[in-house]
Amino acid sequence: MRLLPSRLLLLGISLATLFGAIACAQPSAQPAPTPTVAPKVATSKADTPAARTPAASAPTARKIVIGFTASNTGAQNLPSKKQTEGLQLWLDTVTKAGGIKLKDGTALMPEMKSYDDESKTDRVQALYTKLINEDKVDFLISPYSSGLARAAAVVSEQNGKIMITTGAADDSTMEQGFKNIYQLYAPGSRYLVGAIDLLKDLDPSARKIALIYEKEPFSTSVVQAAQPYARSKGYDVVLFEGYDPGTTDFAPFINKINATAPDAIMGGGHFPDGTTLAKQLYEKKVSVRLVALLVAPPEPTFSEIGDAAEYIVGPSQWEPGVTYSPDAAKAANLPWYGISVKDFVSGYQARFNSTPSYHSAGGYAAGLILQKAIEDSDSTEPAKVKATLDRLNLMTFYGNVQFSIEAKTHGKQVAHDMVYIQWQKDSANKLGTKIVWPPAAKSAGAQLRK
Amino acid sequence: MSALRTPFFWGLLVLLGGVGLLPILNGSDSMREDIFLVLMLVILASSINIIMGYTGYVSFGHIVFFGLGGYVAFYLMLNHQVHFVPAAVVGGIVSSLIAFLLGIPVLRLRGAYFALATIGINEVVRSFVTNFDPFGGATGMFFNYEVYNGYGGSKNALWYAYYAILVVALLCAVSSLLIKKSRFGLGLLAIREDQDAAQVLGIDPARSKVLVYTISAFFPGLAGAIFFFKNGIIEPGPAFDLLRSIEALVMVMLGGYGTVAGPIVGAAVYEQLRAFLITNSTFSSFHLFVAGFLLLLIVLFVTAGLVGWLRQRAPRLRRYLE
Repeated sequence: MRLLPSRLLLLGISLATLFGAIACAQPSAQPAPTPTVAPKVATSKADTPAARTPAASAPTARKIVIGFTASNTGAQNLPSKKQTEGLQLWLDTVTKAGGIKLKDGTALMPEMKSYDDESKTDRVQALYTKLINEDKVDFLISPYSSGLARAAAVVSEQNGKIMITTGAADDSTMEQGFKNIYQLYAPGSRYLVGAIDLLKDLDPSARKIALIYEKEPFSTSVVQAAQPYARSKGYDVVLFEGYDPGTTDFAPFINKINATAPDAIMGGGHFPDGTTLAKQLYEKKVSVRLVALLVAPPEPTFSEIGDAAEYIVGPSQWEPGVTYSPDAAKAANLPWYGISVKDFVSGYQARFNSTPSYHSAGGYAAGLILQKAIEDSDSTEPAKVKATLDRLNLMTFYGNVQFSIEAKTHGKQVAHDMVYIQWQKDSANKLGTKIVWPPAAKSAGAQLRK
Repeated sequence: MSALRTPFFWGLLVLLGGVGLLPILNGSDSMREDIFLVLMLVILASSINIIMGYTGYVSFGHIVFFGLGGYVAFYLMLNHQVHFVPAAVVGGIVSSLIAFLLGIPVLRLRGAYFALATIGINEVVRSFVTNFDPFGGATGMFFNYEVYNGYGGSKNALWYAYYAILVVALLCAVSSLLIKKSRFGLGLLAIREDQDAAQVLGIDPARSKVLVYTISAFFPGLAGAIFFFKNGIIEPGPAFDLLRSIEALVMVMLGGYGTVAGPIVGAAVYEQLRAFLITNSTFSSFHLFVAGFLLLLIVLFVTAGLVGWLRQRAPRLRRYLE
């Protein structure tokens, strides 16, 4: 008699736990998405297949969903926020203009779905799978940073979804044989090349360069490309030293730098370490003629370190002072598309009450390129949009955009040029950024540290 | 082996296997990804519980074996075209071997000293890997996407990874039960309560601790291999992420320290809570705060964890809830 209740109890517990576990699985299977904007255009009628056919007599509105994850928490929080803001501004602009128009009169109203990836690759993969399979997004934008974008690219490719990567410059990501991933940023291997050219132009007597970098994929790949380039230009790379992510005390590295007495310091990694390194170089009065750091200097908040920011050079994918315009496009024999630089900057300032950085521009441009590809394809069918992206070659407020169609590097950015900014003081002793390289784009001459 | 005839053993198989079969039965990719993460955390938490829950040695840096297994397997798959299953097994064995070698000196330490030493080991290994060129240094290693063609395409490869993690999670949970119910396990529990008294009773603490540390390193090694195979990339940061190790400790505490079911329940509850919080518009900015607050509540008021609390409150359940 005792056996039966025991077995029933066991069965009951097993079932209860099983159901509990399934129920527990539900919240993550159907979380509250965080649509950043909810345009009131998508109707159930408009979503029906009939409404999507060109035969539909009256112009209709249909929603398209663009999914991505953002690093609302974790190490990549700041640039990721800027990137999302840029994308948000694009969405606002398109919504205000009545959507993306197809030739049959259909207006595609974009909607965004995003989640916090905590700056973690395992979260990125789970969330991109969810965006594709549960949220049924039509297109994907990458998260910020090369590592996270690479994790997302694997999932996107596995599901045959088109993804525009922005905030991800790592070369190797685009050398994995992906067919549906398109890179908007100029690859990392080009990040410090211009800084070396600038040094050559500015101070022909300079001979020694110290490369100090954050030991993570993006910055390592940048300096690995910069080192041979510097040598090819006749420089002696006197220091090639990595520091761990999260480093806050650069004193041992600065001592090494001082010991090698370089003419220029180049490298860094991301925003927090780059800012700290610049500050400590200033505090320790390191005597070099040029300092070029990755990622941090183009961010407007870099000025918060005060005088330490002066003379610091940074490679940037885009700056508010760039001169891309319909005329420039015409001169380059390229088609022009989209918003002007001036309208983007003023629109961004009005919407977010801050100056856009290149991460913001990258976010906007990701949406814009997708919009152009959809318009030219006259469809949201992935195969057609992909074919259009493959042959895209144009200029926008963000600059030139063209993707590689080589099998080995398919989707890699081949046309976008970087600019280099330097923090300089104006006549009122106020810090601001100037574009100092390349010569064709510069708004001021570069200055050597005194 | 009497443990294999207990109601708990069958309950465990039904529960873990049942949940694991759900995405296979309904073919849901999204559910597969969610449960993959839960199973991976079950393995990490259960492995930590094997050393921490049974012997009382808090291994803060246990994630080192996850990273090592991942790196060894990834290296074999990338450079020697080894199939991911044998590569994962080798990854697990290498993790165990390193745990064995490290365990001999490190397990002589007690309490906070051991915990600190495990953090140190993780940092040393991470720094080593970051500077070790055959493992790709700071940039890590990545597959060419075509690698997955050998597994019937990338979609199939994801399912293979899922089957593998399910099998490893089951093996890990069953091993945890077998250890706990064995004479060896009783010896470990005796060490946990009073190592000197255990030694007087004829238990060899040094041998037992090294052996259990070696076993506890095997499963994270396998999990790391499977996780990074699925990821297609391995980098030092995500491979040796100390935060993940600490989260696994939270799962053990949440579910029930020293119980077999505790880490499983803890991992499932913690991961679902986290998934809910980070996708909830109200709490998404506070999820780490909520998780930390929850841990504080557990440590202060439910020290035995959910399973331990149940066992205390309902003694009749002890037979069914190890």
